[in-house]
Amino acid sequence: MNLIVIIEDNPDSARLASRILQRAGFEVIVGDEGELGMQIVLGNQPSLILVDLGLPDIDGQTVVAMLRQHQHLDPVPIIAFTAWPEHTAHEMAAAYGCDGIIVKPIDTRRFADQIKAFLTPDYRSS
Amino acid sequence: MSNAPPQTNAGHSDQAFVKASQYTFETLAQLYNQSRIDYIVPMPMNARRMEEYILYNDVALDASIVTLNGSGEETGIGMLGLRDRRAWFTRLGVIPERRGHKVGQFITENLIQKARNNDATHGQLEVIEGNEPAFNLFRKLGFEPTRKLMVIRRPPGKAKTSALSDTTGATLLTQDEIHACLTARTDQPSWLDETASLLHAGMLEGLCLGDDWVIYRKTTVQLSAFIFNAPENAPLLIRAVHQRHPMLDTKIENVETHLWAAYQAAGYFEAFARIEMHLSL
Repeated sequence: MNLIVIIEDNPDSARLASRILQRAGFEVIVGDEGELGMQIVLGNQPSLILVDLGLPDIDGQTVVAMLRQHQHLDPVPIIAFTAWPEHTAHEMAAAYGCDGIIVKPIDTRRFADQIKAFLTPDYRSS
Repeated sequence: MSNAPPQTNAGHSDQAFVKASQYTFETLAQLYNQSRIDYIVPMPMNARRMEEYILYNDVALDASIVTLNGSGEETGIGMLGLRDRRAWFTRLGVIPERRGHKVGQFITENLIQKARNNDATHGQLEVIEGNEPAFNLFRKLGFEPTRKLMVIRRPPGKAKTSALSDTTGATLLTQDEIHACLTARTDQPSWLDETASLLHAGMLEGLCLGDDWVIYRKTTVQLSAFIFNAPENAPLLIRAVHQRHPMLDTKIENVETHLWAAYQAAGYFEAFARIEMHLSL
């Protein structure tokens, strides 16, 4: 089963995202702070990491930068999960080595497909 | 929270406030996070970061407030930093579902009064650019915009090298030299970058290139708070810092716009901006 790690401090947002992804067949682990999230990622082998850019201990961007320094995570998509204005979010996500962004609040009908799209062979080989 | 009686103001009979010092850092962080959850740029804090913010920036919790509605529910928060006879209004926010009752005005007016009670003659704050309701409220209460300050970031990565920008002669400053440089600075920093904030926060490192220097904060995960003695040589000094610390992420708050070109050339981008505002008390 594909494991998705969600690093997100907003409990409502994390709960909703988890529920949708679990219903779509994913295993989900949530870390509500950057440091905890990094520990979870490094202690598991996730298929995808969803990182809120605004975290209460370490900035989400810094979390992404630190995760990108672990070579074994190179093939793992890191997706910025953010309420930032879309243009800024895209620029920031690309600069920090994210593979894409998902803007909050999520579209509950599309969210699972958005995640799956980042996991398809087409996406991974592009 | 203790049971000290809430205080009210004329004209706001359905609102009251209590001192922020009656709350734990954990609760203050929660209230602050709740109030900012729908902001243009949400910047949540945990208890540890809230405590650091208070300590580093001389926030006086006895002069800071948490507001309550008629049912005794928390509606918002506002903090006051105090240095000499200056007051800094910070961490103001109203919980979204409790907005619409002039809570923001109630918070600001009471902080202004607290500042006066503490003999401050000058007030200052920063508001996120684009937050028109807050900006207009502060204007209405007498604050005047003075300058734009940028929050900029740079992901880890080596600095580009150039034949015209040899930084190999950069040497580290000692802690005594850092203190001496900070004492001699002539720039006009925002509250967060004032020498008191920098010294409280610690973890300062400095580089010297000839007669010029840059001082910055270095934690295990991030660089921040760059201070230069000669802004015209900032491009070289910025490059020297990143050549020394290529693996660290960088976030610099409250950068004056005249320095932006130097940062941009070193691979920075703008995250958002703030407008600094001042008030004669």
